[in-house]
Amino acid sequence: MRSVLHLLRANRQFLTGALLLGVVAVFALLSFFSPYPPNDSFVVPPDVPPSAEYWMGTTSRGQDLFWLLTFSIRNTLLFGITVAVLSRLLALVIGLVAGYSGGLVDRALMSINDTFIVIPLFPILVLFYFVMKDHMSWGLLALMMACLGWSYDARLIRSVAMSLRHREFTESAIFSGMSTRQILIEEHLPYVLPIVFSTTMNNINWSIGLEVTLSVLGFTDINTPTVGVMIYWANQHTALVAGIWWWIFFPVLLVVMLFIGLFLLAVSMNEYIDPRSRLGRTGA
Amino acid sequence: MSSPVLAVEGLKAYYRTSAFGVRREVRAVDDVSLAIAPGEIYGLAGESSSGKTTLIKTIANAIQPPLQVLAGSVVFNFRDRTVDIHAIERESLADIRWKHLSYIMQGSMNVLNPVRRVRHAFVDFAFRHVGGSMAEFLDAVRAHLERLHLGPDVLDAFPHQLSGGMRQRVTIALATVCRPEFIIADEPTTALDVVVQKGVLAMIHEVQRELGSSIIFVTHDMAVHANLADRLGIMYAGRLVEEGRTADVFRRPRHPYTRHLIASLPRLGDSAPKEGLGGTPPNLADPPAGCRFHPRCPLATDICRRDAPPMTEVAPGHRAACFHADQVAAP
Repeated sequence: MRSVLHLLRANRQFLTGALLLGVVAVFALLSFFSPYPPNDSFVVPPDVPPSAEYWMGTTSRGQDLFWLLTFSIRNTLLFGITVAVLSRLLALVIGLVAGYSGGLVDRALMSINDTFIVIPLFPILVLFYFVMKDHMSWGLLALMMACLGWSYDARLIRSVAMSLRHREFTESAIFSGMSTRQILIEEHLPYVLPIVFSTTMNNINWSIGLEVTLSVLGFTDINTPTVGVMIYWANQHTALVAGIWWWIFFPVLLVVMLFIGLFLLAVSMNEYIDPRSRLGRTGA
Repeated sequence: MSSPVLAVEGLKAYYRTSAFGVRREVRAVDDVSLAIAPGEIYGLAGESSSGKTTLIKTIANAIQPPLQVLAGSVVFNFRDRTVDIHAIERESLADIRWKHLSYIMQGSMNVLNPVRRVRHAFVDFAFRHVGGSMAEFLDAVRAHLERLHLGPDVLDAFPHQLSGGMRQRVTIALATVCRPEFIIADEPTTALDVVVQKGVLAMIHEVQRELGSSIIFVTHDMAVHANLADRLGIMYAGRLVEEGRTADVFRRPRHPYTRHLIASLPRLGDSAPKEGLGGTPPNLADPPAGCRFHPRCPLATDICRRDAPPMTEVAPGHRAACFHADQVAAP
C-alpha cells in the first residue's frame, strides 16, 4: 500500500493512468444509482442537448445519456476484465506447464497455441455471431474472446519458464522435494507476474477494442448496453447527420479515457512489480 | 575406517543420447569407488569436464536424463538409517534431502530466486523438512544466520540487495539450517575473490565442526583443497585416479597426473618456470583404451595402452590407479 502511494507521488504516468481509470470506475459505479433501468426508452424528452438538467443530453430514443453511459461503461469494463482474467489463467497455466515440462507436453501445447495465433480473429467472431444469433450474449462473447486471446501470452510465459527451468533455484527446489505444482506456483509464478500484469492491461484494451468494433457493426447482443452498442444505436438513428453529436461524443470520450488510463498503468506497473526496476528508480 | 557415512561402489553414470538415429554415450563417471568417514571433509579435484559435478549429482541422486546410472551403488549410513539412494522411492528421498543430505549447487550465487525475498527461500526449501511452527522455524533460521555472521534483516532482503559474499553465506546457511549429516558442496567459492573465499571457507569449516557433518567438497582450486580437505580424491576423465590424506597427496603424489597438478602450484621463493602438460583431456564419448591418461603421460608403457589400471593401495590410506605409481617423482 505504501508503495502505491509512493508510486503515485513519484511516477507521473502512474498518477495520470490511475486518475483516468478512477474517473471511469466512479462513472461505472454510478450506474447503481441510476433512476432509470438501462433498457427503458422514452423516459425523458428525446434529442435534448447537454444542459444543466441532462448533463450529457438525451438520445433520440428518449434515454438520459448520462445514466445510460454509466451502465454501458460498467458492462464494457467488466467485459474487458472478464476476458483478461480468463485468458490470463489459460495463458499462465499453459505457458508455465509447457515451459517447465518441455518435451512432448511442450510440443503438444505449443502446436495448439500456434494454431490459435494464426486463426484470424475477426472473421471467426463474426461467424460466431451468425451461428449464435439470438443466443448471443455478453458472457458468451467474453468466453469466446478469452479462448482466442491467451496464445501470445502463453508463448511469452513459456519462453520465460523455459529459462527458469534450468536455473539453480529451480534445481534446488527440486532437490528439496518441492512438487511440480509448488515449484510453478511458488517459484516461477512470481517471476512471470510482472509480464502478466502489463499484458493484462493490454489485453483489456484489446478485448474492449474488439468488442466495440463488433458492437458498432451490430455483431453482438445489441440489447445489453455497452459503449459499442451505444454507438451502434446512435448510428442507427443517424445521430451525426441529425446533429445529435453528444450521443457519439461522450461514449467515445469515455472509452478513450479508459484506453489511455490502462495503457499508462501497463507502462508504469512494471516498476511497481519488479523490485529491481523499482529500486533503480527510487534509489532506496 | 569405522563405518563410513557414504560408500560409493563401482559407480558408472553415463550421458546417453540418441538423436536422429545417432547414439552417443558420454562416460562422465566410470567405475568410481570411494568412502567418506563421519566428520570428514573430502575434497574432489580435477580439471573441467573430468566428471566431478556428474559424480556428486549422482551421489545426491539429482540426476535427470540423459544422465543414467548404469552400475554401482551409493549407500549413506545416516545416524538412524542406511539408505541406498538409487534404490529408494521418491517420497523417502524427499524425506532424506535437506535434513540428512544437503547440496550446495554449482553457481550457488543463483540458488536464491531473484524476485522473492530471502525468507521465502528458507521457507520453501527447508521448512517442510523441519516441522514445528513457522515462528519457531524462523527463530532457528535467525540463530543460524547469526552463526554465519549475518544479521536477521537479510531475511527481508531481495538477493540482488546482498553482496556476493553475503549471498554465498546465505546459500550455505540455507544448506546447513537443517543440520544435515552430509553436505555436498559443488564449487561453492569459485565465483568469489580470495579474500571473501577465505572467509567463506572458514565458515564452512566452522559449521562443519559444529554440526559434525561430513562434506564432499568439489573444486578445481588445489589451494582450497590444501586448506580445507582432510582427504583428497583426484579425478581424471571420469575416473578416480588417486585418493589419500591431503598432506600425503601433496607431499608424495602417486599418479603422474596428480604430480603435474601439484607441480603447477606456485610456491614461495620458487622462480623456475612452470611446465604445462601437453595434450588435452580426452573426449569422454570416445575415451582412449587402457589408462585414460596414457596419451599425455610421460611414464606410459605398453601395458598402460592396453589395460585400465585398478585402484591399488600404494601406502596406508593412499590409493592410486597407476601401473607405475612407484616411479612418480615427488614434485
